[in-house]
Amino acid sequence: MTSADMDYLTIALPKGKLFAPSVDLLSKIGVSANDVHEKSRKLVISNEEKKVRFIITKTGDLPTYVEYGAADIGIIGKDVLLEESKDVYELLDLKFGLCRLMVAVPQALKKDKISDYAHMRVATKYPNVAERFFREMGIQMEIIKLNGSIELAPMVGLAEIIVDIVETGRTLKENQLLEIAQIHKATARFIANRVSMKMKFDRIHGIVEDLKCLLESEDKQ
Amino acid sequence: MKKNVFVPQIPYGTRDFLPYEANQKRVIESSLAQLFARWGYDEIVTPTFEYLETLAVGVDNDVLPNMFKFFDKNNRTLALRSDMTTPLARVAATRLRETETPLRLFYLTNVFRYEQAQAGRQCEFYQAGVELMGVPGPSADAEMVALAVEAMLDTGLQDFQISLGQVEFIHGIMDEHDLTPQQGWDIKQCMLRRDLVGLEEMLAKSGLTKAGQNILKQIPLLHGREDMLEKTYHLVNNPVSKAALDNLAEIYSLLKSYGVDKYVNFDLGIMRDLDYYTGMVFEGYTPGLGFPLCGGGRYDNLVASFGVQCPATGFALGIERVLLAMERQGIAVACAAKNIYIGWDGESLPEAIKQAAELRNAGKSVELSLLPQSKEEALASQQRKGYDELLYIAGCK
Repeated sequence: MTSADMDYLTIALPKGKLFAPSVDLLSKIGVSANDVHEKSRKLVISNEEKKVRFIITKTGDLPTYVEYGAADIGIIGKDVLLEESKDVYELLDLKFGLCRLMVAVPQALKKDKISDYAHMRVATKYPNVAERFFREMGIQMEIIKLNGSIELAPMVGLAEIIVDIVETGRTLKENQLLEIAQIHKATARFIANRVSMKMKFDRIHGIVEDLKCLLESEDKQ
Repeated sequence: MKKNVFVPQIPYGTRDFLPYEANQKRVIESSLAQLFARWGYDEIVTPTFEYLETLAVGVDNDVLPNMFKFFDKNNRTLALRSDMTTPLARVAATRLRETETPLRLFYLTNVFRYEQAQAGRQCEFYQAGVELMGVPGPSADAEMVALAVEAMLDTGLQDFQISLGQVEFIHGIMDEHDLTPQQGWDIKQCMLRRDLVGLEEMLAKSGLTKAGQNILKQIPLLHGREDMLEKTYHLVNNPVSKAALDNLAEIYSLLKSYGVDKYVNFDLGIMRDLDYYTGMVFEGYTPGLGFPLCGGGRYDNLVASFGVQCPATGFALGIERVLLAMERQGIAVACAAKNIYIGWDGESLPEAIKQAAELRNAGKSVELSLLPQSKEEALASQQRKGYDELLYIAGCK
């Protein structure tokens, strides 16, 4: 078992763009193991000496692993946390992986205000975030859940609007999409299971403090 | 896929307890019922459904959307109970208002919440719990925590921890600082969601003093043993929070007398998600289960919402969560014994019935074969069904 083992700390890392900086950051505070890389064939990578285990999961699944206590702690983007709304501790903003969740439309479709877009179709990987955002704006939309290449949807008439994450906005420009509203800024977050946070408090809190110090010292440089 | 095969479904969030699981549940529940009785608690049973307006008394609005609701013949809205504390507060304030306090009540029952199923919690789930009504102060709260520890030990769990918090500690700090109602609400929501990043961002924008921000930011991380209480005492300046810390210290010193202090520590960030708590609150955890096993605390105003002033405290333990934790930790539940399998042949059934009756009267669990069997068949049945012994009767006229 993983988190049932009180001696070990199980850390979940997400595949994708947050993986490398996460491994890098943790290794700087001495939380590491040999062979932690994204293409690892091993599903659970242990460091017997430091009593840590790493598991590598799909991004969208990571909060679930932590919520159920299959992993004690993890690193994941705020965008995923907003979408999944799992009951986990969000302990620290790690500052890297900055992107923003936003609403965009084809330039030709631009309207004066958000409510003018009511009842249009929204393509997104983040149906819950999109639903919440438009509800708070007081408008109803038809949400279409996709798993990737969201920009394609308005080009081929699957949807009029998209809700997606962007880093630089270049993809938007290339596809003649215009950002009309920002929903949330997102960076990588350090999260913990609510029971692990109590039962392994000293270790987890120690890591958080180390990470905080590290981030502050990097900030100053 | 096969066509026209009817596979009956059960609704989302419900489950069957097949014989093995039902047996485990029964063993644990009986043992807990005996434990509660040994501590002087009386069992109570209330209706599975009540009027929604009754169940809505004193609970916060988040609970209502998660209740299963329906209508009676007169179109009044009914709801399945989502916990037992509100129904028991109703009973205490009405049917038992003349009874001498303290009231010590326990229950073993199912409750219903329409929410995403979690580990060891479906929409219908089982709770064992107690309520101690009519007494304010640390002696009653200490009894709750001590009984919660005993309940966990009683189920067979060895490795667990109970964390104590005090909601007044948090309220005192919030009141000490000049927060608008909106800010107060936002801060509380962040704490409830365990969103420490959001909390920090909100505090940075709040215009509070650095010191104020710091203490509010630290609340979710105030975790430790007695020395942490001591240190925290010097961090706060308001009488309400200080009184809350004194209250915890008094409870803890009684827990030492109960001999359960080694299972207990403090976590001042605990805010149970029900709004009715007014004092000490606690949660119980065990390794390998990502969710708390038990929880409870003091709720001095809930009974008053039904018209009678009555301080009260209590806790509930999730039965399925206990079972799940035991399974994960490899702890066997002592199953009910299966003693004797009786096989028979020829004309021997009347004799077999007689023997079965005698053995059953003597307290043995006995399964009687309903068809004649050869000795080999009977032996195979006994072993397959897990009975300790075989009694084979043949050759009677």
